[in-house]
Amino acid sequence: MITKSTLIFICILFGSTQALSEEDTYVHFEQANLVQGRVIWIDSCEGCHAYGIAESPNPLKAKDWQDRVVKPIDILYDHAINGFFGPEDTMMPPRGGNDSLSDNEVKLAVDYMKALAEYYINKEDN
Amino acid sequence: MKEEKKMNLAIVTIATCLSIGAGIAIAKDAGTTPSITPKAMADALHLVMDSDRAVYTKRIVNRLVKKEKVIKASEHFEDDKALVLPAQMFRFGAEMVAKRAEEKPDVNFSYSLQSLWPINKQNAPKTDVEKEGLKFVAENKGQNYYATEELGGTEYFTAVYADTAVAPVCVSCHNDHKDTPKRDFKMGDVMGGVVIRIPISG
Repeated sequence: MITKSTLIFICILFGSTQALSEEDTYVHFEQANLVQGRVIWIDSCEGCHAYGIAESPNPLKAKDWQDRVVKPIDILYDHAINGFFGPEDTMMPPRGGNDSLSDNEVKLAVDYMKALAEYYINKEDN
Repeated sequence: MKEEKKMNLAIVTIATCLSIGAGIAIAKDAGTTPSITPKAMADALHLVMDSDRAVYTKRIVNRLVKKEKVIKASEHFEDDKALVLPAQMFRFGAEMVAKRAEEKPDVNFSYSLQSLWPINKQNAPKTDVEKEGLKFVAENKGQNYYATEELGGTEYFTAVYADTAVAPVCVSCHNDHKDTPKRDFKMGDVMGGVVIRIPISG
């Protein structure tokens, strides 16, 4: 017989495990731009990129970003700010569809996504 | 020696005929004997539906509307002389399948696009499994929902797959629509789900 308090404990444990999991997955970096970028990325980019929605490159998957992290950062900024059509007509909407983001905020989110991708590429290499 | 050769030839011929016969019998059975789980069947059906819709979105809508800007896509596609929206194309497909399946007693399955926040009330979930499934896929992104349910004396395997906002137009259309019950969707949000139902007994 599971008591109410046991159930509450299980819920709290499960909830904290979920939270810990997201905290671990979306790595915290120390640099100020990446701290800001992480917040913006989770709010405006994670919904698609962390799940590969509409074939968006997932920074948690090394193979998705191996060819992208070596590109000049200005190209990544340009694609994120102005939008981009992939070779198979996939579409990255301008500012990820969030028109309220400034150019600088988009750049911070790109910085974070690139850093996250590099983290997972290095993790796979090691 | 000649007799022995004849005998060998006869044995080989009989064995070959038997093998072919057995092969045909197995092939016939393979068409009617269940060899795939309902979950695998539902996943396969969803893979086809999702891929077809993705191709329409990318190769037709993205290319002609967004990239080359030669035509619009609109909910009111007839009045606007425009392309149908990807979600509408999906729904039209579901309606055609339902109609054509009526003439095929063996093809007894259905699928639909539903939402907990439907613009059209007809697309709201009706059964408990549909409601639970849509809630589950909205709260557990990246996961599907599977259950069995009994409806009208028949047991069904029901699968629910998340339907996600993949383009700004999905978000703006739903948030701005006069009949929408929810106006704060963002890109990447789960807006509803594809419900596939396959009979498993009864």
